[in-house]
Amino acid sequence: MQVRNVIRVMVAAALSVAGVCSAQSLDDLNLQIHGYATQGFLYTTQNNILTGHSSDGEPAWSDVVGNVTAVPDPKLRIGVQLRYFMLGNLGKDITLDWASADYKVSDKFGARFGKVKTPSGLFNDIQDIDPSYMWSLLPQSIYPISSRNSVLAHYGGVVYGSVPVGERFGRVEYRGWGGERNLSADDGYFTNFREQGINLKDGLSGPTSGTSLHWRTPLPGFMAGATLSHSNEWQGALVDTYIVPAGPAQGVTITTSGTMVLNPINVLSYYARFERKRLMVAGEYERLAGSYMLRGLAPAPGRFDQRPWYAMTSYKVSQKASAGMYVTQEVDHQALLGPARFFKDWAFSGRYDFNAFLYAKAEQHFIDGTSVGYDIDANPHGLKPDTRLTLLKLGVSF
Amino acid sequence: MKNFLLFAFLLAVASVFSVRGSAQVIVIANPSVKSGEVTKDTLRDVFSGNASSLKDGSRVVPVLLKDGPTHQAFLAEFVGKSDSAFKAGWRSLVFSGQGSMPKSVESDAAMVEFVAHNPGAVGYIDKSSPHDGAKTLRVY
Repeated sequence: MQVRNVIRVMVAAALSVAGVCSAQSLDDLNLQIHGYATQGFLYTTQNNILTGHSSDGEPAWSDVVGNVTAVPDPKLRIGVQLRYFMLGNLGKDITLDWASADYKVSDKFGARFGKVKTPSGLFNDIQDIDPSYMWSLLPQSIYPISSRNSVLAHYGGVVYGSVPVGERFGRVEYRGWGGERNLSADDGYFTNFREQGINLKDGLSGPTSGTSLHWRTPLPGFMAGATLSHSNEWQGALVDTYIVPAGPAQGVTITTSGTMVLNPINVLSYYARFERKRLMVAGEYERLAGSYMLRGLAPAPGRFDQRPWYAMTSYKVSQKASAGMYVTQEVDHQALLGPARFFKDWAFSGRYDFNAFLYAKAEQHFIDGTSVGYDIDANPHGLKPDTRLTLLKLGVSF
Repeated sequence: MKNFLLFAFLLAVASVFSVRGSAQVIVIANPSVKSGEVTKDTLRDVFSGNASSLKDGSRVVPVLLKDGPTHQAFLAEFVGKSDSAFKAGWRSLVFSGQGSMPKSVESDAAMVEFVAHNPGAVGYIDKSSPHDGAKTLRVY
């Protein structure tokens, strides 16, 4: 289903570009091609995290992105972006990041349609754009990289604009969106299910909508905002494969079909950012509570109530060097007591821009708890309650 | 000690002149732009991709110099960002499908040429550069 949608959008975008190109010269179109590529290296103590062999040191983290955009009319912009992503066993595929037509009537109102980035929270729509921020990993409690490709875009539309609220009160930027989202079958949210033999054949899909308000306050560089997003009931077919471990039927494979149903859910987040000269300070809090059913497999619903947050700061040491740190925490108030109930991470980060195109990053994480980013299969001797994670990254963009 | 004080004095003098040097940038626009002035906040929004019109309703398109002291001075004086932070902001827009990178030109002469012939174009040059065909915007 998702593949068909991707193909439809790509064909539509290609036809649009071709149609426009035939009518105007390339210069008139302001045709632009941009891209970036990053290569990361991970080393961990205690547990393997994000990749299967990170405790040995592993360069299994690559992103290659390319896009084409055209501006056939001052108010209209069309474009498409493709990505190759690989992090351990995640990704290893070329996917459509976005493909959209954007019509901006004025600063007060614009709209884009197609596969579009979902503008929730402080970082959601740019969480995959490594060259645009100094961190190697964004706070994983709110922006888990294992689910990045599923949550950063949706099929549908976004309306946006900026409205002044008076000289003394700054201005308000709004974003509203609606459409359909698909959490792919290999998404990080389903890691635990997969390890129990439960596979969602086509992932989980359903309608999504939301709105974000950003208040650019009269205090220069200070923005405060909130996002409310809503998902209707999402469904996905699943297959449970169970191999009888002992007894007369030992080794027999039992397969059961069912449906995973994620009940309607609201996600509310609050955030703020202050930027002044070389200093940046930001923070975000989110509440994600809901339940799901595994129809055909389990009679009782599964419940979750996550309350992640982070606080971060960075400082531009020189024209080329930046340094920063953040602390982030997530606790699932519905989970059993123990390290799997929470995740806490202190991260210290640095970035150096060699020139306008080439940069390097280094980051050290001190992680307690195992509720985010862990794959039990990658840690056959059991999960330890804490991990040190060292990241190195080299990136190039044009 | 005397040498240190002399060095500190020269450093202070140099910094004053460097600040004065950064003010030698003027903002120019295509004559189609109605207004003759623009606030610093609006100019920063236009060059950061957050706005595409001035308060008088004129639709504007920012144009950049590729690099050099005038570009650095403009960013420091009117945008409040280093070149790397400025480019990082535009990359956020370009790679999230929310914007296209502004056109950039090699020299003041090329900037004047482009701004003079493209409706809505807004750019910046060194104050001493000729700018026939383009109007000057007062920034306040």
